[in-house]
Amino acid sequence: MGQGREWLRKHWIAVVGVLVVVYLLVPIAVILLFSFNDPSGRYNFSWSGFTLSHWSNAFGIEDLTEALLTSIKLALLATLISTVVGTMMALALVRHKFFGRRLSNFLIVIPMATPEVVIGAALLSFFLLLGTFSLGFETLLIAHVMFCISFVVIVVRSRLIGFDRRLEEAARDLGAGPFTTFRLVTFPLILPGVFGGAMLAFALSIDDFVISNFNSGTTVTFPLYIFGASRHGIPVEVYCIAMILFGVTVAAMGFVTWQQQRAEKLAQIRPDQEGASAPNVPAGAAA
Amino acid sequence: MSERLRAHTSRFVAGLALLALLVGVAACGGGGGIEGGGSTEVSTVEAESKPSGELTISNWPLYIDKQTIPDFEKATGVKVKYIEDINSPEEYFNKMQPLLAKGESGGRSLMMLPDYTVAKMHELGYVQALDKAAMPDVEKNLIKSLRHPSFDPERSYTVPWASGMTGLIVNKELAPEIHSICDLFESRYKGKVEFLNEARETVPLVMKCEGVDPETATEADWMKAIDKIKAAAQSGQIRRFTGNEYVQDLLNGNVAAVIGWSGDGVQLELEDPKLEWRMPTEGCMFWSENAVIPVGAPNPTAAEAFMNYVYDPQHQAQLTETINVVSPVEGVRPIIEKKGSDSANLKLIFPSSSFTKNCSSIPILKGEEEQNILQAFDSVLNE
Amino acid sequence: MLRRRVIPYFLLGPGTFWLVLFFVVPLYYMFKLSLETGVVGNLEFNWHWANYSNVFDLYHTQLVRSFVYSGVATLVALLLAYPLAYTVAFKAGRFRTLLLFAVVAPFFTTYLIRTLAWETILSDGSPVTSFLHAVGLAPSGHVLATSFAVIAGLTYNYIPFMFLPIYASLERLDVRLIEAANDLYCSAKQAFFRVTLPLSLPGIVAGTLLTFIPASGDYINAQFLGGAGNRMIGNVIQSLYLTQSDYPAAAALSFVLMAIILVIVLIYIRFAGTEALMGEDAR
Repeated sequence: MGQGREWLRKHWIAVVGVLVVVYLLVPIAVILLFSFNDPSGRYNFSWSGFTLSHWSNAFGIEDLTEALLTSIKLALLATLISTVVGTMMALALVRHKFFGRRLSNFLIVIPMATPEVVIGAALLSFFLLLGTFSLGFETLLIAHVMFCISFVVIVVRSRLIGFDRRLEEAARDLGAGPFTTFRLVTFPLILPGVFGGAMLAFALSIDDFVISNFNSGTTVTFPLYIFGASRHGIPVEVYCIAMILFGVTVAAMGFVTWQQQRAEKLAQIRPDQEGASAPNVPAGAAA
Repeated sequence: MSERLRAHTSRFVAGLALLALLVGVAACGGGGGIEGGGSTEVSTVEAESKPSGELTISNWPLYIDKQTIPDFEKATGVKVKYIEDINSPEEYFNKMQPLLAKGESGGRSLMMLPDYTVAKMHELGYVQALDKAAMPDVEKNLIKSLRHPSFDPERSYTVPWASGMTGLIVNKELAPEIHSICDLFESRYKGKVEFLNEARETVPLVMKCEGVDPETATEADWMKAIDKIKAAAQSGQIRRFTGNEYVQDLLNGNVAAVIGWSGDGVQLELEDPKLEWRMPTEGCMFWSENAVIPVGAPNPTAAEAFMNYVYDPQHQAQLTETINVVSPVEGVRPIIEKKGSDSANLKLIFPSSSFTKNCSSIPILKGEEEQNILQAFDSVLNE
Repeated sequence: MLRRRVIPYFLLGPGTFWLVLFFVVPLYYMFKLSLETGVVGNLEFNWHWANYSNVFDLYHTQLVRSFVYSGVATLVALLLAYPLAYTVAFKAGRFRTLLLFAVVAPFFTTYLIRTLAWETILSDGSPVTSFLHAVGLAPSGHVLATSFAVIAGLTYNYIPFMFLPIYASLERLDVRLIEAANDLYCSAKQAFFRVTLPLSLPGIVAGTLLTFIPASGDYINAQFLGGAGNRMIGNVIQSLYLTQSDYPAAAALSFVLMAIILVIVLIYIRFAGTEALMGEDAR
């Protein structure tokens, strides 16, 4: 017993860490469980039997699948635009001193400090006033890009801050022009940060509810579908799709990491020559 | 180092290509199809006798069965786009209001909204008058109790889609003796009751329990009832105010009784025999969702044809069986009884006039009185 | 040389344009809206500052409550996320990537479904509720419809926002610094408080801000998990806007909320003494 306590004392942090992970996964386990539920009525709140029928029918509800596709489309486009724009902004903010830099920094941070309810409502009033954008996919895309930009900038910027400029100088010394340097040296090295920002943007977009609720017009995104359905009984298929999203994400992250590790093994470079390049972790967290 | 950078770069290029491909597919394919009202083709509004073209309908979720729309499309050749985007009348009204003020309807030709919302829309000039000659079945089959409502005495701009009753839903094991709204205030049920977050249904019910008739109540009566509710919320008597989220609480045994809707009552009784929808002793609130044709609606002809179609008792029967609300169409009950289908609890779907003798219709509030009452109730909700 | 000068503006251009057009301008219009009076469809602009005082009078309880809930949630999230980040950064070894996925992936299921799952887990008859009641965290016997449930929901949903910045700053920590501290006769505890914690401070500041700010304006948790008396300011703004159609009041309340958040954030950053969030280039 003394050994047990000794072990606990030395490893208590890890124990707490693992417990927190378990805590994070509990709702996921519940969602997984209820995706196999076979409710007799409309409501999926209590267990009434095991079935795979909802899994085989996961994409069978037309409105649900349409909403899901809308969300994915929206997230992809929003991620692309906000990542490109945000990376450019981060480069400008970190590397150049110019008039208005302080103000730009401020401008990036303010949207993150504004509650979503406020942004959603303000955008709605604005779109209605303007009248040029029809409430729907267009306005959703605009809104999503808007709130993603700040996050991308923050992520890429922190990656840039730790960047060893000497690598670029070395490339320049070896005769590379500024664009070539960017293409072959800078960009690949900040890629994990860019990728991290992109993943964050994608996650924010696909999960967004509040801002979308205000600005969606008649377009239904996946979270909006769930909200509407929650008032009348969420079909079990929704739970199945939530698990599929979860699974696909994990698989995607796993794939990317595996690729990175392979590339590193192939290159066989000593760690301290890497400067600020990607360590052995998925880019999603490498901020 | 250069090998590694090359590996990075080629991976990056491949990734970018893939992303571009995905985006290209996404942007090209189906970009128009998923958008809502704005992209629906607007056909010219002509006085045609035969319906044709396209029809966009806005309704509440789960307020239709699976067969009605395909059957209608087959019978008339009209292509229907059915959107379930009404989740709360006020929210919906707010979303549509700027468009309606400009004389547009966002492509929709039919909307199903409660009495008080359509009354407000009518006053603001947002709805069109109906061509009754185009809807003979509606004229013939509309049930008597809904023919002359106070807000549209000649049914000149509304056609009821579905009706329902707001009363009590009770867990017979936890609260067998609750039969009146007043019972919900008894301390032995503290923390075990839930009220609806709809001012126009909850407050009149409480007024009825105090002996006041909602249809002749003064603003002071409303405020008194709201104060009573407020006190109950503050003391912890009321667990929470809900839309139909009470369903989960009832099924999980978290509450003993709620103020709830008859449509949910039918479903819940099927799902859990411990639950029962009860007509309060002081009576229920009897309401309708009404179909209106908004101003600027494309293809009102098809809209009227659709309403006429669902007022045929045969077509209405399959609808009623699915959505379990009170049907506004005469002659449906025999069809359902003959089919012997599982549409249990016909009492809640075809309430007799003696069953609903004490029920009131939803009072229509206006102007400053409306604002004051809504604000007072909302501040209780947001306590 | 001119190209040099122009480059930053070129890079900054699209993003700034987007943010100004779709963030600053709408907020300006909302500000105008907050000074109007009247009913929907009939609003008049007349410098009606009384909207602000009215709204503050009516809803200061909910304002305070929101900040209390999100403050507690932020603190708890910090206490949970820090050991987690520490574990993943230093103690995970081979399992580091797996653990990282395990932390981030749950947040790729939808916010609403996770909250509804909690509604099921915390329902009155469930074992979790009984356990919580037994340890005294749920004195009234039920968890749902109490402030505990709302705070628990907030904490859960914002843990990744706390975790990721802390993890990022811990991960960049040079382990040799801790080794050096140990070589200089520091105990593990001292090494942590004198080396690790200060160096991870930027992550902590970023994490707390990224948690506290959105949590203050949240309304989903209060709506699904809370009961009467647990509503937050986000619920009020939503109902003012969407239910009561009182746009001027909604706008005024939104600005009040933003202003208070900004004040709290500025004080906090001053106090924490870092420019972590508005970071300048370190070199």
